[in-house]
Amino acid sequence: MAYLTAFYWGWLVASVLLGFAMGWISVVQHGEGVSRKLWWWLSVLVAALVGAALARVVPGRFGYWLDLGLVMFALYLCGCAVGSWLRDWVVSRSAPPA
Amino acid sequence: MRRLFRWSSKWWPGIIPLVIFWAIAAWTSTEPLEADLAQRSAAALKDTILDKRRITVAGRDVTLAADAFSEEGRQNAVASVEAVPGVRLVDDETRLVPEAKPFVWSAERDVLRVTLSGSSPLPAIKGRLMDAARAGLGGVEVVDRMNLSRGAPPRFDNAALLLLDQVGKLKDGKITLSDTKVSLSGMARELGGREAIAAALKNLPEGFSVAANEVKAPPYIFQAYKDPVAVTLTLTGNVPDGNAHAALVAAAGRKFFSEKVVDNLKESIGAPSGFAAAVVPALGALSRLSTGTLVVSDREVKLSGDALYEAAAGQIRAGLGKDFPQAWQFKPEISVKPAAAPVDATVCQQLFTELLGKARIRFETGKADIVADSTGLLDRLIETALRCPTANIEISGHTDTDGEEAANQALSERRAQAVADYLVSAGLPADRFTAVGYGSSQPIAGNDTDQGKAQNRRIDFVVK
Repeated sequence: MAYLTAFYWGWLVASVLLGFAMGWISVVQHGEGVSRKLWWWLSVLVAALVGAALARVVPGRFGYWLDLGLVMFALYLCGCAVGSWLRDWVVSRSAPPA
Repeated sequence: MRRLFRWSSKWWPGIIPLVIFWAIAAWTSTEPLEADLAQRSAAALKDTILDKRRITVAGRDVTLAADAFSEEGRQNAVASVEAVPGVRLVDDETRLVPEAKPFVWSAERDVLRVTLSGSSPLPAIKGRLMDAARAGLGGVEVVDRMNLSRGAPPRFDNAALLLLDQVGKLKDGKITLSDTKVSLSGMARELGGREAIAAALKNLPEGFSVAANEVKAPPYIFQAYKDPVAVTLTLTGNVPDGNAHAALVAAAGRKFFSEKVVDNLKESIGAPSGFAAAVVPALGALSRLSTGTLVVSDREVKLSGDALYEAAAGQIRAGLGKDFPQAWQFKPEISVKPAAAPVDATVCQQLFTELLGKARIRFETGKADIVADSTGLLDRLIETALRCPTANIEISGHTDTDGEEAANQALSERRAQAVADYLVSAGLPADRFTAVGYGSSQPIAGNDTDQGKAQNRRIDFVVK
């Protein structure tokens, strides 16, 4: 993992920043999110992909691309979570007391 | 947590640029990553001895195909690649180098090149053998047809290097090492080369042995050419040692009374047994020819040329082989020189005097037995006698003054008669010759010196 991180750290940072931005926006966004049902389906899909990656069942380049995608996705999610949490913290501090 | 869950439902729009990022990252990083992993894998295998190594990388998966020289080496190679950081899976296509049984290695030499073939245990040893062959054979093309195999006997490389040294001593031939058995065949480059190879084979590493050594020595050649124009006898080729050399040249000097002996002989070991015993009589036969060549190759004696008259040709053809030691062969190619034009009695006498002035008919001491060295001279006397068929010839025997007069008289008569008999046996009519003994009564030099006595002991031909 250390080797891979060193190899394409730029793309990983980009994923984190993208996630951070998306998380930052998502707190104050008024639009509809994905439905609960779809959310679960997507979770299952991601879990299946993670399972496939860990089991190393996808061969060759496709296996590499899957690993790369999942790592970028995981960092994106981390960025989102941090971004959302920070935005929420900033918003709650600046909001007038109810 | 609940809030995080609520926020996460709104994170999906970022997935679209993320996918674009992912696609670009996959597009740009895959090939550099594969190249880097291939290079790292190769570096990890740097110290592992493998043959036909092939590393292919797809994504992070490495396919390693190679021939290993031991099971341990094979497993180590796979483990080394698995340990390379970034490698996800190793597709193990390694196998063991095939085992050769028997383990056969050979070096074959022909006129143009040396070919190394068969099995070699490791690439490094193969390289050493090639280097040694190139260095030791100086300029000869070395062709590598060796495969790599397992199953070499211990100390194979030492044995093979020693055998490569021996290839240098061969003119052509093949040296084969089958497990620990060495077989050699071919022809040594020089006289003595066969013996040198046999001596070197005693230094084979422990456990190795010679199964067959059929290296032949090059033919042991001796040649003599009698040139009637230059009046020379040229000796070329080999003689066994200094004594034989001196004896042969001395014998040639006695037998070829009018020719100058040109000695180009070289002393070399490896002469067939009975060399001198065959070559000396063969030189005697050559001395009887007007022109001729004697070629002795190992135990085969070839004599070609022109005899002076028919009976001499017959005697040489039939007689020479009998004098040879056992296992020697004689191949005569004797023709007869066309008869010279007849001459009158006066010229005949001149020719006799001229011949007998150059050399004397020699006898065993105190006996009337003509020595073999004089046959060349006798043949010339007979040839001359044939040129004046009408002349009657007195063969007169003379002695020095040593001993009793009566004994000398008898000896001179018997010697004159022996010569007359020789002429008659060569086909000349007996009534043309009279054998007369004069004892010591007609000296041509003083009897007070050995030289003078030698001159007085003689046979004269007098045309009547």
